[in-house]
Amino acid sequence: MRVTTYNAYRDTIHNLQQRQQDLQQIQEQLTSGKRVAKPSDDPVAAARAERALATMTRADAQQRALEASRTVTQMTESALGDAGELLQTARETLLAAGNASYTDAERQALVLTLKGVREQLLGVANRSDGVGSHLFGGQGSASPPFVEVPNAPDPVTGVADPPTRVEYRGVRGDTRVATEERLGTMIDGEDTWLLAPNGAQPPDPTTVSVFEVLDKAISALSASGASGDDVAAAVKAGVAGVDHSLSHLLSVRARVGEALNRTDRAELRIADTKLAAQTERSNAEDLDLVQAISDFQNQQTGYDAALKAYSMVQKLSLFNYISG
Amino acid sequence: MGTALISIGVRAMAASYASIQTTAHNIANAGVEGYSRQETLLATSQGQFTGAGFFGRGVDVAGVVRTRDAFLTREAATAKALAAKDAVRATYLDQLQSVFRTGEQGIGYAISRFFAATSDLASQPADAATRQVVLARAQDLALLFQGAGTQLAQLQAGVTQELQVSVQTVNGIAASIARVNNDIAAARGLGQEPNDLLDQRDRLISQLSEHVQVSTLPAEDGTVGVFMAGGERLVLGTVAEKLTLVPDAFDSSRSAIALSEGATTRRLATDALGGGRIAGLLQFQNTDIVAAQLQLGQLAYGITDAVNKQQMLGMNLLPPAGTVASSALFGIEESAKGKVYAASTNQSTSADYQLEMRVVDASQLQASEYELRADPSIPGNWIVRRVPADGSAPVAIVPGVTLAIDGLEIDFDILGTVADTDRFLLAPVTRAAIGMTTALSDPLGLAAASPFVADTPAANTGSLAVQALRMVDTPTHAPANVSNIAITFTGPDASGQGMLYDTAVYDDLGNLVGGSSGNTWMPGATIPAPPDPDINGFTLTVTGVPAAGDAIRIEPTTYPAQNNGNALALNGLGSLNLIGLSATPTGAPSGGFSFNNAFIAALADIGVRAQGAEAAAAISAARADQAEQARVDKSGVNLDEEAARLIQFQQSYQAAAKVLQIAQSVFSELLKITGG
Repeated sequence: MRVTTYNAYRDTIHNLQQRQQDLQQIQEQLTSGKRVAKPSDDPVAAARAERALATMTRADAQQRALEASRTVTQMTESALGDAGELLQTARETLLAAGNASYTDAERQALVLTLKGVREQLLGVANRSDGVGSHLFGGQGSASPPFVEVPNAPDPVTGVADPPTRVEYRGVRGDTRVATEERLGTMIDGEDTWLLAPNGAQPPDPTTVSVFEVLDKAISALSASGASGDDVAAAVKAGVAGVDHSLSHLLSVRARVGEALNRTDRAELRIADTKLAAQTERSNAEDLDLVQAISDFQNQQTGYDAALKAYSMVQKLSLFNYISG
Repeated sequence: MGTALISIGVRAMAASYASIQTTAHNIANAGVEGYSRQETLLATSQGQFTGAGFFGRGVDVAGVVRTRDAFLTREAATAKALAAKDAVRATYLDQLQSVFRTGEQGIGYAISRFFAATSDLASQPADAATRQVVLARAQDLALLFQGAGTQLAQLQAGVTQELQVSVQTVNGIAASIARVNNDIAAARGLGQEPNDLLDQRDRLISQLSEHVQVSTLPAEDGTVGVFMAGGERLVLGTVAEKLTLVPDAFDSSRSAIALSEGATTRRLATDALGGGRIAGLLQFQNTDIVAAQLQLGQLAYGITDAVNKQQMLGMNLLPPAGTVASSALFGIEESAKGKVYAASTNQSTSADYQLEMRVVDASQLQASEYELRADPSIPGNWIVRRVPADGSAPVAIVPGVTLAIDGLEIDFDILGTVADTDRFLLAPVTRAAIGMTTALSDPLGLAAASPFVADTPAANTGSLAVQALRMVDTPTHAPANVSNIAITFTGPDASGQGMLYDTAVYDDLGNLVGGSSGNTWMPGATIPAPPDPDINGFTLTVTGVPAAGDAIRIEPTTYPAQNNGNALALNGLGSLNLIGLSATPTGAPSGGFSFNNAFIAALADIGVRAQGAEAAAAISAARADQAEQARVDKSGVNLDEEAARLIQFQQSYQAAAKVLQIAQSVFSELLKITGG
């Protein structure tokens, strides 16, 4: 085949440029650490990496939602613990008030304790999550969700007894956050505080409100000159009501504790999902360094050889031999 | 006798000199692109007859010819045209794919982050900072779409400019070819080939091939006719036609090529152009930019519509809370919404017809434009077909009857006369991305709350629990006019698997104003399950199993600040398939992509295009290189060869000089004898 001088030079230059380009490309990959810098480098890998990134972002959002759920649920759990202790105090105070030898004045002291416990319980029921909602606000509530309203006077005596009652001003049901596990935040306050089952067998629909129990007990015990029978009846009813409420609060607390366990499991799942997505993204678009360095050295050697060959070949010419 | 010898010597010297001159010319032009090696043609002079036979009279210079192979020259030009086409498309596609950035700078990530922000909003629906973040993410997303749309518009502008340059270059080269044709015809009159002019013309044709693919046809007079790939005449003899850049028949922001032949201007079909930069640029403009625009526009439109719909179904916190109707979060500028184009070549005017298009379901919009034209097979009928063609069958459209297609409604009516050659283009989503904005500036305007809340009464004996209430449509009875809605489970259905339930809607005075009975709930299904219509605008997701007599109670939301129902629904949109659904003959539309996956599909599509174009460019560049190499190897100069020839002709010259010397000595010998 005939080779022309013009082509010989053009080809060599073209090849040298090509090698330089390849070298530069692999150098770019080495410095960025990425094998796929743009979709055309590997469309399938780019799509995989992009999908993995979306999964990672969603996992981060779910982790934040989970933290929000956990914060509120932990506060709820501890509020329920506080409520349990308060109810124990109320129970002991009630039993102490049942002492038949107590005078009105001695009973009044215990009534004061009961009133204090009731106030604290109301405080716990109205506890805020710190950012504007209430732990027992259900699906939204007035602020605070539990309010005291006056009782209507008895048509016969003309006296309201007890004078006030606690009402729930909220929407029943639980609030949830955006995780696949539908983890919760606010729980239903009416169910927790006002609708404890009365423990009857078989179950009947009558429910017990912890505040009503205490209000009634306080009212009965604070009556001056109450008879021993009245006191005993009030204590009996009060202790029974407190027991029903306490056992209901404990079951709610168990449910909340289980929710916290579920949160922990969800966190593991989210962490696994995120790790898998990170690995997927890295596999899809990151550079295999060993391979790249070896390729780089190969290219370098090739480029070097091409340069040497060029410098040797361009010296060859018939004109070198016919001078003179 | 002696004179004959001198004459032979002189002519031999002249011939050798001519050969040396040609060789020197070759050496001088060894580095000139497109130069064809020349050779001096020598011819033996016819002998002189004597009684003793023919005596040779030496050598004549017959002419100078160039070594050129017409086939290889043509091959090289054609291959160059194809390579130029592939190269320019690959270059532009490389720029185009930067619109579809991957990773943390991309639109995909912005979509993920927007929906992540709605998740935070669900965790803290009343928090001002969280609300602000949702707005900021929405703004980021809209800006990225806008930026992508602007980049596409800039690419389009770049293509138009480059086409303009190419068209001017083609016209310049065509005029030069016509001029050289003229010179060649004149020179040929002298009886010899004007080699260097011929080389120049070959070079011009090769340069022309860079821009448009051409074929050549030599004429008797030495001129060549140059024709475009579609057979259109560009140069004939000494006359060159002119290419012009004209606006696309439909969309004037796109360009097309026309050929002016005398007074008439004829549009050239893009696919008939073959190779060349112009063909590559037009292909990029008509397929690649459009594909990117359509896919981005479809996504921008889909996100805007779906998010706005959900946002407007929810309750915001604008004072007084719960009473102000929610407004859209995203917007699409009027100028960027769907457009109807009539071809500039149409005979009808806007008074002759009425053509309108409405988007009725953005989730069914396809990444496509639609051409409305007369049915070529049934005269008098009209059809609508997708462009670019995707193999789907054209759909008939009856003037005066609304056509529903791909989430669109098209109204077409003929008022006057519309010629059956008239064409219309409907572009519902093409420009949507560039016009995407955010329409909401007050964080309180975000509708995080759902207008209704659902709960299961404590008296229920089954395990049924409501997980979510999602608004899917405008409620028939506005929340303000509803006191409560009851869903009551009446007993097992016929299969024993599900439960029958009744619904009842009570107005604010407690009157029954709506409801249905005998609906069926199956385990795992929503209430109601498609295709049953929603209950006053919502559907419920439930877990557990109801017992007969159990109920679900739904009330209007009293405390919107603490309700996150609509934020959850907004967040849920991120994982629903809401882009490019296909209508099914029965039931709900199916298929389609989630927002993220739609972007990924678009990104992969453009990536594959760019990768394919790169590969095609590499292959055609190698082919063009090979063809050019074959041409140059045939017709180019090899310096070693010329060096050898120099020696050869130098020796011939010396030998001829020797002949002269001998002739002189023979002649003087004779003089010596006769003259004494």
